[in-house]
Amino acid sequence: MNLTPVIKPFIVSGSNGISGPATSGTGFSDIFNSAVNQVEGAQETAKSAAMDLLADGKGDVHNVALATQRAELSLELFQQVRNKFVSAYQEIMKMPM
Amino acid sequence: MSLFTAISISASGMEAQRSRAEVITENLANADTTRTPEGGPYKRKDTVFTTAPVSWSFSDALSEASGQTLSGQSLGVTVSDISIDDRDPERRYIPGHPDADADGYVAFPRVDPAEEMVDLMSASRGYQANVAAISAVKDMIARSIDLFR
Amino acid sequence: MTLDRTGLQLGNFMSYLVERQQVIASNIANVDTPGYQTRDVAMPIDFASAIEDAAISIVEAPNLPSRNDGNNVSIDREARLLAENTMKFNLSAQLIRGELKNIRSAIEEGRLS
Repeated sequence: MNLTPVIKPFIVSGSNGISGPATSGTGFSDIFNSAVNQVEGAQETAKSAAMDLLADGKGDVHNVALATQRAELSLELFQQVRNKFVSAYQEIMKMPM
Repeated sequence: MSLFTAISISASGMEAQRSRAEVITENLANADTTRTPEGGPYKRKDTVFTTAPVSWSFSDALSEASGQTLSGQSLGVTVSDISIDDRDPERRYIPGHPDADADGYVAFPRVDPAEEMVDLMSASRGYQANVAAISAVKDMIARSIDLFR
Repeated sequence: MTLDRTGLQLGNFMSYLVERQQVIASNIANVDTPGYQTRDVAMPIDFASAIEDAAISIVEAPNLPSRNDGNNVSIDREARLLAENTMKFNLSAQLIRGELKNIRSAIEEGRLS
């Protein structure tokens, strides 16, 4: 599941100096990219655990359930954080300059 | 490596005990059979239990078929042999009996009904214990699936 | 933002219980097998390890008397362990659900309203 289109509109870079590909790993877009990777990683882990159990009979049901829940929670957390950033961004944009 | 293997193991136990019960009831039914097609009285039988690996998944069955041994973990049971009790028959003195020999003795099977009944009860207990094990595992699997919600 | 270790300890404990369940099933299936020795699972010391399927070793259960045919399975012991194992498993699952619920609440509490 590719989440990049979801957060791409909110990656800020360029002249206002918030972030850029050449800067250190703590820029805004870097944080988002890392978060997206983690969420996608969790989804992949859950999916392969489920396939291992169903196709090969390897693994236990409770571990697959845990992997699935972790992926869901990761996504939920990510969405909440993204929503916060979006609303903060919108607040800032409303300020008269 | 999982709860499903445990079910296969218990199922093998149920199968073995059921087989054993069948053999015992055959012994009991033929306790007084003095005449068989092979000649002579019925010879009682015993089931021989040995451990046997079980598989439940496709990949397990595949490796078993190709000759690789499964891990030592999934040990079920199987009836590897039904052995025939070759002891000399019991001889009872019944001169008028159609199967009596020249001295008036009739050869009877060596079936002791009391012994067979005790054995049958043991097979029944063993069977029930395996059923209880499967029931417990089914519950555990259901609880695991609940974790998805 | 990593939730990788959610329910890790309980999950590993449950895996150990699953192994034990399998061994108990073997013992029960082989209660009448001549020469069979009762087996058990060695309790791992560290449930917090992130390595799933960390080697769980199968050992022989000590101090069990053998009968005439060499079999030392005690059906009473196995029945007791069966009940204990199932109970611990269900309790662990319940605790994990609680943990997941708490985390979910904590995430949602930050919701914009």
